[in-house]
Amino acid sequence: MTSPLTRLALAALLAAAVPAITPAKAQTALSDGQILKGLEGLSEKAPTITAQQLRSMVQTHMAQNPGEALTRPSLALKLDQLPQINVQIQFRLGSAIIEPSSYGTLGAIADAMHNPILHGYKFIVTGNTDVTGPREVNLKLSQARADAVVSALVTVFNVNPTRLEAVGLGEEVLLDAKRPTDPINRRVQIFTVGRLAPYVAQR
Amino acid sequence: MSYAQAGALLARSCGPDINKFCSNVNLGEGKLLACMDGKINQVSAKCKADYATAKTSIAERDAAQDSIQEVCSADTARLCPGMVPQDGNLLSCLLQATRVVSDRCNAAITNAGYR
Repeated sequence: MTSPLTRLALAALLAAAVPAITPAKAQTALSDGQILKGLEGLSEKAPTITAQQLRSMVQTHMAQNPGEALTRPSLALKLDQLPQINVQIQFRLGSAIIEPSSYGTLGAIADAMHNPILHGYKFIVTGNTDVTGPREVNLKLSQARADAVVSALVTVFNVNPTRLEAVGLGEEVLLDAKRPTDPINRRVQIFTVGRLAPYVAQR
Repeated sequence: MSYAQAGALLARSCGPDINKFCSNVNLGEGKLLACMDGKINQVSAKCKADYATAKTSIAERDAAQDSIQEVCSADTARLCPGMVPQDGNLLSCLLQATRVVSDRCNAAITNAGYR
């Protein structure tokens, strides 16, 4: 029989292995090691996705689902096969200004991206809001926030700009579709989406 | 110092000053830097000092990471012959061979935060 302690350890291990579904509170404390684990291991068989495709998916979803925010379906990106992480970055209310309390988290993301294991890869950084507030405003805000994260990674923490693209997903892709107004849905997601051309200057 | 530590140091020592003097500019594009430079006589002494430390640490970490390819080229040729760099395999090879890797290359790996 498994002791409670072993089961607890196993649960912790499983939680660490699947950062994409770790609860919000744990996400703020993601270490660069956990971020690395979440973003490494892109399979050759994984679906390919571009920033442009993601933006069209959002536009199509918004056009086809004009209904009320609390009842309309969440957009399923179907990107579960891509290495990915969810992180909580704190922004000023209704703004794309990153709070100082999240500078360390941004640095941890940069540490992972600067690791040779991830050197050869490109990423899409998405911004997501909850359904509070006007839908179009949330779409713009989420794009501005994703842009701010990319800008900080590139200009402060020296990640090569050709490796990063920012996409605002607005309030369309909920982490907890049953609770659309829950702040857990406000998050930044990062997906590993492909390799850089070989021998490109890597940083 | 890792990038995470540099970011956390900046937040810890300068967070209150940033919120007070530069709350409407973002971290990227040198905007925070320009704002803080403009207010440098008003920020706390601790922030002034740690702000410089964080900036220097980020630059040093970046330089160390960039230097590895060159500093370790003889070691990789000798210890990891024919290996095509991918997914960190060269670093794994050098880390496994730590005891016979040159001091300069070992130091570069350490300074890059890859150990």
